[in-house]
Amino acid sequence: MSRTALLAATMLATTAVPSMAQKPPVQKIDGLVNWVYDYEQGRKLARRTGKPMFVVFRCER
Amino acid sequence: MNGINLELFQFEFDLTWMSFFMDAENRIYTRYGGRDDSSPESHLNRNSLLATMRSALALHKVQDVLKSRLEPTGRTVRTPEQIPTMRAMLAKRKNKCIHCHDVKVASLRHLRNQDKLQRHMVFTYPTAANLGITVSPDRQSVIRTVKPGTPAARAGVRRGDTILRAEDHRVLTLGDLSHVLEKTADPGRLSLELKRNGRAIPVRLDLKAGWRKSTDPSWRESLHVVGPNCGLWGRRLNANERRRLKLAPGKLALKVTFLWGPHTRKAGIRVGDIIVRLDGQAQDMTIKQLNAHPMLNKAWGDTIPIVLRRKGRELTVRMTFPRRPAD
Repeated sequence: MSRTALLAATMLATTAVPSMAQKPPVQKIDGLVNWVYDYEQGRKLARRTGKPMFVVFRCER
Repeated sequence: MNGINLELFQFEFDLTWMSFFMDAENRIYTRYGGRDDSSPESHLNRNSLLATMRSALALHKVQDVLKSRLEPTGRTVRTPEQIPTMRAMLAKRKNKCIHCHDVKVASLRHLRNQDKLQRHMVFTYPTAANLGITVSPDRQSVIRTVKPGTPAARAGVRRGDTILRAEDHRVLTLGDLSHVLEKTADPGRLSLELKRNGRAIPVRLDLKAGWRKSTDPSWRESLHVVGPNCGLWGRRLNANERRRLKLAPGKLALKVTFLWGPHTRKAGIRVGDIIVRLDGQAQDMTIKQLNAHPMLNKAWGDTIPIVLRRKGRELTVRMTFPRRPAD
């Protein structure tokens, strides 16, 4: 399978934000995969490239 | 989870990893993730993820998204911040990040505040085990075992069958199956379409009252909302320590390492004590299982006996749990 065939979007739930209204800053986990950390950005990219999205929720506690 | 649309991304919030294969229009091809009581990674492995990715790519080519009535439309938006108890929860923390389990904890607390919370509500997103089956680790729609006497066995499900659909919902993974099971009533019925020897076979499972419960939910972070805990942390004694103290293997032997509950101190429990019996329970268990016992079986304000070993002597103390907390 092509490594670039899927868009990779991750939603991290482990980072700090100053208030509830603001989105938490991203803690990047990029390695072999270049993750897109914003879901709406991922959607735009998926639309533009015609690729499906792989959306991951990952929580450390 | 800050700002995430909970209407679109529905999953077991007690867990630590979940994924969705989707198109750009918020439509889902398949779900991959979930867990059972055994381990956080019980449903995750390289081969099954690769197989799911291949399936998602094939489905994307023909735009074959999930269309069942159980699928979220994504048209409505509901975020974790809108759960009424969330603000109070986050106010107590420096870090305002909303974790996956916070979503479930806040939801259960909201129900508790409305006097609508029932203990069984902690058992969300049942898995294949609740039906009496296990599946192939590599191909999660293929049934590997069927436990006798279970709903699956009674319905005639067999080893080697492939689950094609649950209700009208396509099943490729345990994540897909769990999504359907979450929306199945207790007691209830579940229709499965199986593939056996190349033929599609419909079966219907009768799910008796309590079918959603699992045997060891102690891993669930949200458990503390439904009942009181012992207010302590500890560790199991190792074999040498057990021998020295003449405590039999297979029996409860937990050394208290940390106290946080005022009710725990009031009961007279100290760091270093060894718990050998709690509320009549003397079987070996982890600290999480020990704390889960009152959460699942006792009410706020109840009193239980705890037998301790301290400096070679055995003593019994009585712990009275606090009144139900207000959020």
